[in-house]
Amino acid sequence: MSDKQTKTSREKYAEVAYYPGCALEGTGHAYNRSTKALGKALGLKLKEVDNWNCCGAMEVKNIDPKLQTYLSSRVMSIAANKMKMDVVMAPCNGCYHNLKRAEWDLQNDDKSKEVVGRLSQKAGHETYQAGQVETIHALDWIKDGIGEDGLKQRVKNSLKGVKIANYYGCMYTRPRHIFPEKDAGAGSESTSKPHFMDDLLAAAGAENVDFPLKTACCGGAHTLSDSDTSTRLVANILQTAEAAGAEVIATECPTCHSGLEMHQIRAEKTLGIKTSVKIIYFTQLLGLALGLKPRTVGLQENVSDSFAYVKEKGLA
Amino acid sequence: MPIHEKSLIRPENLAVHEHLEIEGVDVSGHWSTFIESRVVSDYNEAMEEEIAALPGGEHIHRCWQCGSCTNSCTVNALNPDFNPRYWIYLIRMGMESELLRDKDIIWQCVSCHKCTHVCPRDVVPEGVMKATAHWLELKGHTPKSHSMIFDEVFSEQVFETGKIEDGRVVKRFFKRTGQALRQPWMEDMVKGMLRHLPVSLLARMGLATLIAPRTRDWGDARAAINEYVEEQQAAQRRALGLDDLVRAAQREI
Repeated sequence: MSDKQTKTSREKYAEVAYYPGCALEGTGHAYNRSTKALGKALGLKLKEVDNWNCCGAMEVKNIDPKLQTYLSSRVMSIAANKMKMDVVMAPCNGCYHNLKRAEWDLQNDDKSKEVVGRLSQKAGHETYQAGQVETIHALDWIKDGIGEDGLKQRVKNSLKGVKIANYYGCMYTRPRHIFPEKDAGAGSESTSKPHFMDDLLAAAGAENVDFPLKTACCGGAHTLSDSDTSTRLVANILQTAEAAGAEVIATECPTCHSGLEMHQIRAEKTLGIKTSVKIIYFTQLLGLALGLKPRTVGLQENVSDSFAYVKEKGLA
Repeated sequence: MPIHEKSLIRPENLAVHEHLEIEGVDVSGHWSTFIESRVVSDYNEAMEEEIAALPGGEHIHRCWQCGSCTNSCTVNALNPDFNPRYWIYLIRMGMESELLRDKDIIWQCVSCHKCTHVCPRDVVPEGVMKATAHWLELKGHTPKSHSMIFDEVFSEQVFETGKIEDGRVVKRFFKRTGQALRQPWMEDMVKGMLRHLPVSLLARMGLATLIAPRTRDWGDARAAINEYVEEQQAAQRRALGLDDLVRAAQREI
């Protein structure tokens, strides 16, 4: 533990265990591609968690929260015990949230600890012990691993004139008790007004608009099972972003991202609400700013078509 | 935002008398509407304990009714009838018939965690909503919601293979809920996606729906998880007295 504390974030995040999760191998593949491309361009090393499993997403907890804790703990156990890594980086909000949640449960809930110990033993792997790894989000990884100044020095195509609404969603900040490092004074992330994505995109030259729905819910959990609710929630986010003057909504979660894309189309079909705001992962935007090609950051894998837009802004 | 609580004065509790005279005063008509007294006699004293026995409901007893959950609620902003504070009150009071009036919307909680974030008593209202929706289904008050079916389809695949493949989950979900896979808005979305995708990626995506991605050597984990799920489900059935209910029903037949 003392070793980890004396190391700076720069040193710690130079090489991290990478947990892409299921969404990044499916609908969120553009996020996977752009995260890897960004790491390569910035000289940050990613070692994918060996033989990982699903963290439980938003569904397994509704069957039993302790199973979600077990599933997430297995991922951290591999990173800590097999790969001997100190840091796990998860770009997906769902994965990030669940690993954090598992960490908190294992520190504070004896019943969860007992269930995780029992299942790990039966499954034949070492039981994860709270505190063995530090789980971070892709935003922490860039913000603390490179920083705004580091990013500024590497920008080749400034995002000048790109008006962005930064959308963080639910799982990155709530509930606050599972994120003890947030709301911890100057320089830390805020759970009520998160700003890490704003900071990074501003460093790349973008113009962040004042967006009041940064942590609003897109209804991602019910994208398919209660589509009308999701469509109304997303339509509100899209319209508010446009009213705030945004041309782009920057995302940092594959569920939010595909939810916004899907329901942008559905809102037009079912509610007659047409919006043209582009939906782009923050890793794609930063990649473009570093001079990477649109295809290298997977712009072709987005449903929301932003090729013409990035060209117009001189980013392609 | 103020919470607009629903009124207990409902149309069926209003009495309008066409001809009524009380102590020489004519009180006929709408100008003097009477409210029938409301008697609650069907308390279900086991309800709180049963919901507390389901995953997520454990901390319901901590609630002191501040209303922060409803005040912050995403779904409440869309539908004022969606009121976690009120439902927690009804559950703790055992007012089952009142709760059942809202049985078809409780499952709509989107798990945004705003309530859990603001709750000063760590009730975890989000968990209580899930436990309550689950309770309604287990007791037979509501059919399985699409949300629960989605959770089951999703979790089954995770338990089986260790991983998820989106396309397969979506297909199984639509099949199990009896919906057509080709929704008009979905076709538009797929068309949008196909515009720029290279053939190699399409081939990879197509392959993924045929050969599900899986975690290697998952067998022991699968067995451990399935054993745990069975053990938990048996405990839940005991807590809710479901086996007794089934036996009683069989005797009647």
